[in-house]
Amino acid sequence: MKTTKTIFQDGNHKWVAIVRDPQKPNYLIDTNEYLVTHGGKGLVLDPGGAEIFPAVFSALSAEFDPSALAGIFASHQDPDVCSSLALWLEFNPSMRCYISWMWSGFIPHFGGSAETFLPIPDEGMDISLEGLMLKAIPAHYLHSSGNFNLYDKVAKVLFSGDVGAALLPSGADGLFVENFDAHIRHAEGFHKRWMGSNEAKRRWCERISQMDVNMLCPQHGAIYRGEDVQRFINWFDELQVGIVSA
Amino acid sequence: MAATTTMTAKPLAAGADLLRIVHINEEIKRVVGVSVKINIMALNAIFLAKRAGTAALGFGVLSNELRVFSQDLRSCMESLNGLIHACVNQVSIGLQGIRKGRLLSEAARLAPQQASITRILRGHEQEIERRAQRLGALRRQLKGALEDVFQMVELGGVLAKSAKIEAAYGQGFAASLAQVSGEFDGVVEEISGSLESLRRSAFFTGNRENWRG
Repeated sequence: MKTTKTIFQDGNHKWVAIVRDPQKPNYLIDTNEYLVTHGGKGLVLDPGGAEIFPAVFSALSAEFDPSALAGIFASHQDPDVCSSLALWLEFNPSMRCYISWMWSGFIPHFGGSAETFLPIPDEGMDISLEGLMLKAIPAHYLHSSGNFNLYDKVAKVLFSGDVGAALLPSGADGLFVENFDAHIRHAEGFHKRWMGSNEAKRRWCERISQMDVNMLCPQHGAIYRGEDVQRFINWFDELQVGIVSA
Repeated sequence: MAATTTMTAKPLAAGADLLRIVHINEEIKRVVGVSVKINIMALNAIFLAKRAGTAALGFGVLSNELRVFSQDLRSCMESLNGLIHACVNQVSIGLQGIRKGRLLSEAARLAPQQASITRILRGHEQEIERRAQRLGALRRQLKGALEDVFQMVELGGVLAKSAKIEAAYGQGFAASLAQVSGEFDGVVEEISGSLESLRRSAFFTGNRENWRG
């Protein structure tokens, strides 16, 4: 079963990371899911693949009533991001799914109906969670061509999807980055290969540098906090991406 | 342990059903192919009977009947496509449902405090049961339709054998007519063999203890 860690709390406004499942088979990539709650409602960010649904659901439901989930934010279209969609909809069929307009015709193959999807335009949009205004931030081509991060200005938390992701070796299962230089080695190959555009990467770095971010939360690996956030942005800005040796 | 075995057995049984439907469909396509062949053979036989004149009048009539038989057989086999498609659809949805059920059951086991999951699982089981009943009805419908085809092919066999007898009266053309009627008999036997194998398909006869329908 996965564990939950509250990474931000101010009254009923919470960010919960759902991470690390020792029982997960090795052939499935490890993923982090996040729950944002406010005013009794919740939004799950990249709720994960269908195969890990039981682990995510049980961890989440220990923290929060799943029938009070208002929606799902899917950073992009990958199966490890949201192939569990149909299972979540079992608990609340009126739940909405925020995703790039590009994928709003593709993701229904995972489940949902015409009413389920709220397409995010390329420039991003505000997403309200019981009065808390969250912002879908464009991160196109990082790695998906229709890709978004989610920013919470109040909590100063940025959910960055695959940006900042690291494929950690077994045993390295800390929730936060503790030693940036040691950690970033596990992120380098991933970013070089999965991120397809240096131009898009530069724009993202410029955009995020201007935002007040205390925590940068990727879908894989550990969370960057404090000075490690800017350290990551600088590192990413310097990195040449879209590289494959073949 | 028993529950785990059942969960594994269900998709395996449904997957096997899907494979069986594919085999049935391939056999149906084969019969359609053979029916086209009979149609062409019957046309040639009609021309041959005309050349033989009055000595092959009966043979001509039977050749014409065989041609009608081939056309009826073809349309009958093609009409099974709808049933095959519906079976594939039900089994595919069933497979998805089994997977969904497995994941929901696992979630219920890990989060026993969530009362709502019991209700959702019950609804899910009922839906699987409804799907299984629909598949069962389709299975019976397909079997019935194949039995109808079997009877039609028996009639085709009688026509082919009658053509063999008529060929004997073909005087100077008797040898050619006998060859053609022998070929008719052979292809109708071929169809009978295909239909027999369809009758024996485990899709109709298999043990469905774990995958209802």
